[in-house]
Amino acid sequence: MKVAVVLPELGAARATFSLWHVRPGDRVFEGDRVAEVLIPGAAVDVHAPADGVLVEQAAFPQDVVSAGQVLGWVEE
Amino acid sequence: MTDPQHDPARALSAYLLGTLGFDALLALQRRLVYEAGGPRPVASLVVCDHPPGITVGREGSRAHIRPSPEQLHARGWPVRWVGRGGGVMLHLPGQVACYPVLPLAALGLTPAGYVAGLQAVGVDLLRWYGVTAEPDPDRPGVRANGRRVAHLGVAVRGGATCFGLVVNTDPDLRPFRDVRCDGDPAPMTSIARESSHRVTVPGVRQRFVELVAARWGFDRISLFHQGPGALPRPTPHAAAHRP
Repeated sequence: MKVAVVLPELGAARATFSLWHVRPGDRVFEGDRVAEVLIPGAAVDVHAPADGVLVEQAAFPQDVVSAGQVLGWVEE
Repeated sequence: MTDPQHDPARALSAYLLGTLGFDALLALQRRLVYEAGGPRPVASLVVCDHPPGITVGREGSRAHIRPSPEQLHARGWPVRWVGRGGGVMLHLPGQVACYPVLPLAALGLTPAGYVAGLQAVGVDLLRWYGVTAEPDPDRPGVRANGRRVAHLGVAVRGGATCFGLVVNTDPDLRPFRDVRCDGDPAPMTSIARESSHRVTVPGVRQRFVELVAARWGFDRISLFHQGPGALPRPTPHAAAHRP
């Protein structure tokens, strides 16, 4: 089953996707930091929602992202 | 219902550490972030200063640093790229760095709310010294009389904050002409330059502890002058109860 990596609420009107810490095909565990987004003054980690393999990246560096947006998918 | 007197999230461990090298800071932060993300979240505050050098956050650029690599080497200014928000910071003696390590969820904070709160701590600090200051929404930090007096760059790792606010207490301001801190074209100012009060580094350090505790409602403060690694180990009776 695929589980979405969702950007949590950051309290900022907008955020910019910064980087992925993992590549498609990499194994991840729930709670691992898999990506990073930027709001003015802060770099915020995004965590894996489940154990599995990152199968898809849906956001890329410099993309403008917002809370609730799907950044990628983990296959359990 | 949780008794607020026993809520670990409302107790603050403050480490007043003097001059701290960047490698030592990163190791200390990793430990404190780990503790803040545990089942009993612990809030900490590191107040220190750094040896001369430059750090570059995610929003910084080498273009903001005017001296060539050879000139930086001659001045003894190492350049480090660090995983925090914000731009370029020039670290010099006479600054005070305020690095809260706070469990955001336990305190009911969002990352943006925390950034705003840390800017407000900087504004409150300047106000205490009789200086009218304002937060800078474009390049987070604090401005006084149109010039930056503090710069802000934080990271949220595992739900806990790290890095923070660096304020110019009374540094030599001339070197700032060579570094566009946070990309701002104007050179920075300092509390001592703007204030008619007596401004000292120990006074600013103490004020930071009080302001951080007041801003986020910490009613119990434990002060340490060494990092947690140098503190005594748990008492034998506590160790005996480990499974």
